[in-house]
Amino acid sequence: MPRFLAFIILALVSGFGALRADDAAPDSGRALLVAAVLAPAKDQPAAVRALVGVEDSAITPVLNAWRAGELYLVVLADGTRVPATLATAATHVPSAAPDQLVALSVATGSPIMDPASSATPAAPLFFAPKQLKPIDTTAPLRRAMRDVLEVAGVADPDPKIRRESIERLGQSRKLEHLPLLKARLNVEKVSVVRTALAESIAFIQLADAEESTRLAAIASLGDAHSLAAAARFKEALAATPAPSAAEAEAMRGALRQIEGHWQVVNFFGNLFRGLSAGSVLLLIALGLAITFGLMGVINMAHGELMVVGAYATFVTQNIFVSFFGAGSTAFHFYFIAALPVAFISAALVGLVIERGIIQFLYKRPLESLLATWGVSLALQQTFRLIFGPANVQINAPSWLQGGATVFDVAFAYNRLFVIGFAILVVLGVWLVLNRTPLGLLVRAVMQNRQMASCIGVRTTRVNMMTFAFGSGLAGLAGACLSQLGNVGPSMGQLHIIDAFMVVVSGGVGNVLGTVIAALGIGTVDQILQPVLGAVMGKILVLFAIILFLQWRPGGLFPTRSRSLD
Amino acid sequence: MLNKITKVIGAGAFALGAFASSALHAADTVKVGVLHSLSGTMAISETSLRDVLLFTFDEINAKGGVLGKKIEPVVVDGASNWPLFAEKAKQLLEQDKVAVTFGCWTSVSRKSVLPVYEQNNGLLFYPVQYEGEELSKNIFYTAEAVNQQATPAVDYLLNELGKKKFYLLGSDYVYPRTTNLVLKEYLASKGIPSANIKEVYTPFGHTDYQQIVAEIKQFAASGDACVVSTLNGDTNVPFFREFANAGLKSEDCPVMSFSVSEDEFRGLPTKDLVGHLGAWSYFMSIDTPANNEFKKNFFAWLEKSTVPGIEKKGRVTNSPMVLSYAGVYLWKAAVEKAGSFEVDKVREALYGTTFDGPGAKYIVQKNHHVTKNVYIGETLADGQFKVLKSYEGVYGEPFLKGTFK
Amino acid sequence: MSAPEKLSDVEPRFFSRAQWIAFLVPTLVLALLLPLLNAFLPAEHFLRPSDFTLNLYGKYATYAVLALGVDLLWGYLGILSLGQALFFALGGYAFGMHLLLMIGKDGQYKSDLPDYMVFLGYKELPAHWAPFHSFPFAAFAALWVPALLAFVFGWLAFRSRVKGVYLSILTQALTYAAALLFFRNDFGFGGNNGFTDFKRVLGAELSSPDTRRWLYFASIVLLALVFLLYRWLTRAKFGHLMQAIRDGENRVLFSGYATARYKLFVFVLVAAVTGIAGALYVPQVGIINPSEMTPEKSIEAVVWVAVGGRGTLIGPILGALFVNALKSWATRAAPELWLYILGGLFVGVVLLLPGGLVSIPGKIKALVARLRRPPASPASPEPAA
Repeated sequence: MPRFLAFIILALVSGFGALRADDAAPDSGRALLVAAVLAPAKDQPAAVRALVGVEDSAITPVLNAWRAGELYLVVLADGTRVPATLATAATHVPSAAPDQLVALSVATGSPIMDPASSATPAAPLFFAPKQLKPIDTTAPLRRAMRDVLEVAGVADPDPKIRRESIERLGQSRKLEHLPLLKARLNVEKVSVVRTALAESIAFIQLADAEESTRLAAIASLGDAHSLAAAARFKEALAATPAPSAAEAEAMRGALRQIEGHWQVVNFFGNLFRGLSAGSVLLLIALGLAITFGLMGVINMAHGELMVVGAYATFVTQNIFVSFFGAGSTAFHFYFIAALPVAFISAALVGLVIERGIIQFLYKRPLESLLATWGVSLALQQTFRLIFGPANVQINAPSWLQGGATVFDVAFAYNRLFVIGFAILVVLGVWLVLNRTPLGLLVRAVMQNRQMASCIGVRTTRVNMMTFAFGSGLAGLAGACLSQLGNVGPSMGQLHIIDAFMVVVSGGVGNVLGTVIAALGIGTVDQILQPVLGAVMGKILVLFAIILFLQWRPGGLFPTRSRSLD
Repeated sequence: MLNKITKVIGAGAFALGAFASSALHAADTVKVGVLHSLSGTMAISETSLRDVLLFTFDEINAKGGVLGKKIEPVVVDGASNWPLFAEKAKQLLEQDKVAVTFGCWTSVSRKSVLPVYEQNNGLLFYPVQYEGEELSKNIFYTAEAVNQQATPAVDYLLNELGKKKFYLLGSDYVYPRTTNLVLKEYLASKGIPSANIKEVYTPFGHTDYQQIVAEIKQFAASGDACVVSTLNGDTNVPFFREFANAGLKSEDCPVMSFSVSEDEFRGLPTKDLVGHLGAWSYFMSIDTPANNEFKKNFFAWLEKSTVPGIEKKGRVTNSPMVLSYAGVYLWKAAVEKAGSFEVDKVREALYGTTFDGPGAKYIVQKNHHVTKNVYIGETLADGQFKVLKSYEGVYGEPFLKGTFK
Repeated sequence: MSAPEKLSDVEPRFFSRAQWIAFLVPTLVLALLLPLLNAFLPAEHFLRPSDFTLNLYGKYATYAVLALGVDLLWGYLGILSLGQALFFALGGYAFGMHLLLMIGKDGQYKSDLPDYMVFLGYKELPAHWAPFHSFPFAAFAALWVPALLAFVFGWLAFRSRVKGVYLSILTQALTYAAALLFFRNDFGFGGNNGFTDFKRVLGAELSSPDTRRWLYFASIVLLALVFLLYRWLTRAKFGHLMQAIRDGENRVLFSGYATARYKLFVFVLVAAVTGIAGALYVPQVGIINPSEMTPEKSIEAVVWVAVGGRGTLIGPILGALFVNALKSWATRAAPELWLYILGGLFVGVVLLLPGGLVSIPGKIKALVARLRRPPASPASPEPAA
């Protein structure tokens, strides 16, 4: 009751905004927060835990800021230490410069005023970015924060946070949380959250004194396909003293139910992961399907062209950071801008390679392998000299972070993006090759260079454009890979053999074959992996490809021709 | 035709002989070998060690050198090619006659040069955390042994975080294999049942961690699990990306990595790593006068350095670099104690030699390892570690297998 | 050696007198004189090749055998195999198993088992290791293990008439898969570390200069013998058949030759010979690990051949020597730039010197001839690829 009163008082007075720290009621959320921040490090976790169950809308944002390293300590002239978050000054003081910040005191939620200022109304203290040092956190402290946030999160307006908080409370298996969860169940309307609530309640009830309650809990956990419960049941079944016969039977039944469900989930999960691995392979191999498949150039520098695309993404990111700032909304669109940059820069490098070396080697395909191998060595060293030997840091834009879970299968956004992007690129390649004049010329030249030349096609130009196009596709692949893996000088070497295998098994000179081969290899690899482990799966896939090509030397879709030698 | 070709061969042979025998000795310098990969896949990590070694030599030379002689570095590139490491080691010992070598990163490169150092009675300082199970009289391991990194880290997970399930994830090579072997024995001795330990290996350069992360997610559903990662540098990026995108958080399932240092953070999306843990004998963030001095001098040196292709911007310091640095100073102290560069005398003098360095005090043990502090830290968003716990003066013990019952 | 040889051009004799001299003199100098100088001259004498140099040349000689195999397949038979390093490494592994067992109780753990088996928890030696205690068995295994693999792979590939680029990429996949397999510690061959720390061979300490001289001698002799063997193969009717297959396999097939069998024979023979070279390589460098069978190593061997001059037997030897000497020198003298040197060399050779180093004297002669009588003859045509 006093807490509730304090809350009302706080709500009333905080409206005036001019409250000083020591004016706040001693156990209001804000006051407790201030006390926790200012407590000695070893007492901080306990001080934070005192916030459990305190209802104050200030607690969640402040604790989140603290966890993220965005809570600061402002030391006033008289030595008073005031915990505060930072905000853009312009929203509080219209006359402030755009990069000026003001400190919002945790105690009051309003800007800290400059005591030296004589103006009326008093001017706030201004801060420059990075002027203040964030307040540290430790793991025990963050666990305490999490406990607070979970309890607070049960009533959070965001259903996603509600659900996560409820799940965690369930896993903590503390009977003390039961009333809170039950109360929430009465008012909760969102169905996924209701499911989570029911599951968490059942989980806590596994420790209930009544056997009938326990049995009901077991059954409902089985219905909920709870993995955590499965682990718990296995433990309980193996433990001494063993659970009662009825309980054990219920647990076994629930286990069968849960495991059956997860087999189905893993099956669909494998399909998705296979699709995504296949899309990555496809993106890597598409450029090669053009330069190697159509043109017959064994381009060992294909991997390095991907690296060019990846570094182009890195450079674009840095330009966006220096123009818009790392936290800005515009920053998150750097990746969109990076795609054309990656395509063009890789295409240009490809153009140089074609003009400088490959144009002399169209009649000697095996030697193009050697020359481009030399190019790849030189390019790797160039990356090392320009960008340093270490990997570079690429931060994913917010819309490529995280993922969604549907039917217990996790769909990461970056993986979804890669699948969608691969579809777009395939479509684009198909359109370029089959629906544009350039495509017509490309196909003509690739089918019969002399004949095309005879009827007036400028074959050198077409060669140049085709190779640049293939190289540009490699650049796009590199840009995509920068969102999945590391970007460094020798990154290209990781993918080159896979790319060749895909093109060869699909059938040289056939883009459709490449698509099917990439998806097939990706899926088989992902299905084998959980059974055989990461390496053996890959080795088996390689051997399977070798054997497959003995059976069909031309790949899936061999190019048919009547010519012999 | 063939006659001419013989002439070519003859000329080639002479040319080879000429380059091979170009060892010149100057009286007022002492040659010191630097044997790291500056190209190939390992250049990513090893180049930093070359940089810090050259800095250390300059620092020592500016103060008058060792025994009045200036250090003359002989830098060779092992090119991430293990037989080439052996060849380069032979070249350093037999042609250049270096007094000591600082080098190697991977276990296989050390294994490859070990016979060369033993045959020629050379001296090698090895600075990178490693699996132990080795003791050569010609090698000093300034590196962290398994009990100076892995077992304290697991202690932390058990005692401070109360973790009960361990997912041991590593690259498939000898360091993770051996470390995990020791950890499994250690965990068993702490009462963790083998059903709660899972051990998984991926190859070098593995890029697809979808399956493994999906498995970890189900493994960690009970909320008391953690990952102990011995993945090597490169593969951490795809792993942590996948980990973060699957919605796994450091509060629920922290990842304790043994091969991710400040230098690796430069290429990692650090936002995805916040709150995950690391264990090393040095963190760049340690706030001691010795460390601040070291960082200041090193960065100032980088600014002025004229080494071709050296990176000047965004540099950091990490444990292998500091252990390289400490190695040079320990060697210097021993040489001065022995009054000679002779390997046998220096070895004797090294035992018990101490050095107060950036990561605290280093003491060379009789078993060629080094007593040092061990720190457990957690990752901050700016790519630094924050010290959570420190274990002081941990004695390096290379042979741990079978010692935990 | 420029234009494809016509049947009538072929000399009936194996070697002319001059060629015998050209073969024997360098062979004797390398095989006998250098080791003798190394053994008997005082340490600081300027004519004495150091132990290090001798060891280096021994290593190059085994590389040269590898390169000769690549060339026999590529330059004469038209098969560009990107997996030759696999056979080299397999030979090395087979012999490495013997060397590892010969360490005996001198390893880290003073156990009969190799060190890595001890710490991976093996209780006893796996059965397939036991015969490798015998030197003849191991030496023979270095020959038949690669040959067997080559037979199985070649039989499948040549029978279904996989050729050209496809074959190249398949061989690359094969060596890549093998490397991944050997990298696995569970496969039982020491994983990434492979085998190291060998102590003795045939009872002799590997660290003694005497043993190292013998190993060097054996490598040079092997190189000379392989040179003669391949020379003999390419001179005889068999040689013409190989070149005919290279230049028009279908026509040869239609003339009634089972081309697949010829190809298979050469492929297996080369694998066996390469395996022996690998076996000699391992004790000289002191390590064998799976990175020796990665596709890059095979491509490197192809590059040696291209640089030296393919379709000749002296070219690969020169190429292996030249590129490796360059690498040894550059990784010491210009660590930052040597990849440019190497990369530039490959590009330069392919574009400007398709015949490789061995074509330089011919080119100079042609240039001199052209300068003497300027207007008459047009530039000589490039040799056919």
